[in-house]
Amino acid sequence: MDPFSTLGLAHTFDIDMRAAEKAHRELSRALHPDKYASSGASERRDALNRAADVNEAWRIVRDPVRRAEALFSLAGVEVGETKEPKPDAELLMDVLEKREALSDAKAAHDAGRVRALVEEVTAREKHIEALLSGAKAFDASLVGKLGEMRFYRRFLDEASSVMEQLEP
Amino acid sequence: MLFEIFDPKAAPKPIGIDLGTTNSLVACVRNEKPVAIADCNGEILLPSVVSYAGDEVVVGTPALALAQEHPRETIVSVKRFMGRGADDPETRRLGPYEFDDTPSDVNTVRFRVRGKTKTPVEVSADILRELKTRADDELGRAGGAVITVPAYFDDAQRQATKDAARLAGLDVLRLINEPTAAALAYGLQTKKNGTFAVYDLGGGTFDVTVLLLEDGVFQVKSTGGDSQLGGDDMDRAIGGEVLEQLGWLAAGIAKPHSLTKHPKWTPAVVRLVLDQARQMKHVLTEKDAVEAEVPLPDGGSRTVRLTRARFDELVTPLLERTGVACKRALKDAGLAASALDGVILVGGATRVPAVRAYVKKLFGKEPLADVDPDQVVALGAAVQADLLAGQGRADEVLLLDVTPLSLGIEVGGGVVDKILPRNTTIPTAARGTYTTQEDNQTGFEIHVVQGEREMVSDCRSLARFTLKGIPRLPAGLARLEVTFRVDADGLLAVHARETTTGIEQTVAVKPTYGLDDATVERMLTEALDFGEEDLTKRRVAEGRVEAQRIMLATRKSLDADSDLLESGERAAIESATSTLEAACKGEDPRKIQNGIDDLDRATKGFAGRRMNRAISRAIGGRKVDDVGHEVAHAKGIEHAHDTWQK
Repeated sequence: MDPFSTLGLAHTFDIDMRAAEKAHRELSRALHPDKYASSGASERRDALNRAADVNEAWRIVRDPVRRAEALFSLAGVEVGETKEPKPDAELLMDVLEKREALSDAKAAHDAGRVRALVEEVTAREKHIEALLSGAKAFDASLVGKLGEMRFYRRFLDEASSVMEQLEP
Repeated sequence: MLFEIFDPKAAPKPIGIDLGTTNSLVACVRNEKPVAIADCNGEILLPSVVSYAGDEVVVGTPALALAQEHPRETIVSVKRFMGRGADDPETRRLGPYEFDDTPSDVNTVRFRVRGKTKTPVEVSADILRELKTRADDELGRAGGAVITVPAYFDDAQRQATKDAARLAGLDVLRLINEPTAAALAYGLQTKKNGTFAVYDLGGGTFDVTVLLLEDGVFQVKSTGGDSQLGGDDMDRAIGGEVLEQLGWLAAGIAKPHSLTKHPKWTPAVVRLVLDQARQMKHVLTEKDAVEAEVPLPDGGSRTVRLTRARFDELVTPLLERTGVACKRALKDAGLAASALDGVILVGGATRVPAVRAYVKKLFGKEPLADVDPDQVVALGAAVQADLLAGQGRADEVLLLDVTPLSLGIEVGGGVVDKILPRNTTIPTAARGTYTTQEDNQTGFEIHVVQGEREMVSDCRSLARFTLKGIPRLPAGLARLEVTFRVDADGLLAVHARETTTGIEQTVAVKPTYGLDDATVERMLTEALDFGEEDLTKRRVAEGRVEAQRIMLATRKSLDADSDLLESGERAAIESATSTLEAACKGEDPRKIQNGIDDLDRATKGFAGRRMNRAISRAIGGRKVDDVGHEVAHAKGIEHAHDTWQK
C-alpha cells in the first residue's frame, strides 16, 4: 500500500504533520466501521478494511523511520536490515562508543551525561531528516541513511529508559 | 398506532452498562442526553455484590447486608477475578473466599459456595441480569448493550466479560474502555476541545488514558494502567493496620497481602476487617482522624484509630504505581504533562484527598471536578450504544480507540516478536515475516501472546495453532507471513501464510483462558431453558431486527446518493428489498438470512461508490477514482475479504 496516497499526501519526507493528522481524522470519520454499524455485511467489511488501511498509513507516515522506509520502497529500493547495504565500519564504531558511554553514564547515575549524549544523537538524527527532506529522489545512494536512522532511534529509546530509571 | 406504542418489541432501547468492581449501573440516552436509570427505590448505584447464601440469588444492597453473616457465600468485588486462573495471585490475597482447586480448573477461578461452585463469569452475569431487569422495567425493553471494561483488561478478561453478558441474555454491541467512555460523556457534556488525561481509579483497577477531543472525534493517544490496583487495595492496607492494632498480625507476617494466613483470620474476621477499613477510608475523605469499634469474636470490642496522615502514608506506594503508568502513557502519547488541557478524575477512589493531591502534583494542574466520578462511565457507554445503534449523533461523534497491550508471536528461544505495539489505533492490521529454524520443517507453530514483556513466559498466551503442509526445505528458506488484524471491537484475527506455497490459515483468536464456547452455550441453555422452538423464534426475531436495520440504512443511502446508481441497480435493490420484506412476514429464519444476503449483494457496488465519495470528501478535492483505486488495492485486501469476521 502507498500510505502517502491513502492520506492524500505527496511522496515527500518533509510532510505537513498537521495536514496528515487532519486527513487521518477526516478519513476515519468517513470510514470508521462504527459509521457502518447498520449497513450490510459486505459494506461493513469494506469499511473495516479501509479504516484499518488509513490507520496503518498514519502509523507509517508519522514515524520518521517507517516514513523513510516507505519512500524507498515506493521508489523501488529494497529496504529491511538484511537487504540494505552493510553500514560502514566507522559508523558502527561510533555507535558502539556511544552505547558504551551511555551504559557508563547509567552506572555512574550521571543524568547530565545522558542528556548530553541524547542531545548529540538527536542532532545527528535531525541532520539525516534534513537530508531526506531535501532529497529529490529516494534511490540506492541514500538508502544507507536508513540504517543510521535506526541506530539513532534505538539509542534514543534506550537513553530515554535510562533517564526514567535515573530520574523517576 | 396504539399497538405500536405499547408493543414492547417495537423499539428496544440501547443501553450502556458500567460493570464496576464496587458498584455497577445502567444508563440510556433520553432526549439526546445520557441519563442513569434508577431502581424502584430511586437508587442508581447497584453494589456489585452477589450472595448465594440462601436458595435465591441476591444482588446489590440486600446482598451487601448478607456479606457479614455469610462471608464465603457472598461475593464482593468479583471483577478482580474475571479472566483469572486458579493459580492467580489474586486468589491468595486477603479475602474471605474459598476456592475450588481441582486441577481441571486452572483456566478459571471458582468460588465454593454451599457445596456448589460459581465462576466469576456467572457471578457477573447475576449482576448484569439485575441491571437488565432494571432497564427492561424502565424502557419497556432493553436493546443492545455497550459494557465498559478497564482499558488495561487483557483479552481473557474481556472475553470473560462478554461471556457474562451473553449469560445474562444481553446483546453486546461492544465492550468499550472505561476512561474512553468517561471522556466521551465529559466531552459531549462540556463541548470542550483539547488534549485530556483521564485518571480512573476504581475499586479494583487503575487506568490512565490520554486522548484528543477535536470536533466530535475522540481519539485515544495512549492508555496504560494496572488491572489489579484500586480502592480495594487501600482497604487492604487499612485492614492490615487494623489487624496490627488488634494484635492479629503474627510475628513475621508484615502485610495482609502475605500468602501466609494468620489463624485468627476466619472468613468472618476478614470480611469484618475489610468492611471496617472501607468505612474508615470513607470517613477519612472528610476528617483528619477516625476511630472505630471493632466487635471481637468473644463478644467484646476494641477501638482502633487511624489518622489521615497515616492513611496517606499507607496509600503512597499505591499512588506511586499509578504515577508510573501515567508517565508511560504520556510518553507513549509523545506529550509532556504541561501540554494537557485538563485531567479528568473517574472512579470512586478518586474522592480520597491523597489521590487528588497526588494527581495535582503529578500533572501540575488541578484536576477537573465537573463530572460525577461514579456515573460518567455508564453515561459514556450509553452514548456509544446510541451511536452504534445508528441513533442520535452518529454523524458527528466518533470514538477512535487503541490496543491497550502489545500483541505478538513467539519466536525462537521463547522470545516475543511484537507485531502490533500497544497504543495502535484500531481497526488495524500489521504483518511480520518469519522463517523456519530447522531443515525439513513441515509446520509452523504459531503462538499468539499479549503483553509488554520480552519473554513469552511473562506474557499472556492467547492462542496457538499450527500451519501444516509446508514442503521440506532447508532451514531459513520457507517464508511465513503472519498478519494480525484487530477490528473496531478490539478482537484479534490472525492470518498465517507460507508464501512459497501459498498455504494459508486464519483463526479468530479466542483466549485459551476463560470459558470455552461450549461451556457458555451449555450455561446459557441451562439458564434460559430454551427449547428448539424457542431458539427458532429467537432467530426469526433477531433476523427481523437486522433486516429492518439494513433496509432502513439502504433507504437512507438511496436518498442521499441516488446519482451514484448505475442503470438497473435501483431496480435490483428494490426487488431484493421487497423479497426481504416478504421473508420478514414469514417464520423461516433461513429465508430472512438469504434475503439479507441478497440485498447485501445487490447494494455492494453502490456501497463501494458511496464510500469512495466519502473518502474524497474527507481529504478534499482529490479525484474519487484515484483514491478509490489506491485504497481498494491496498495491501492484504484480497485476503481480507475472506478473513474478517462478520
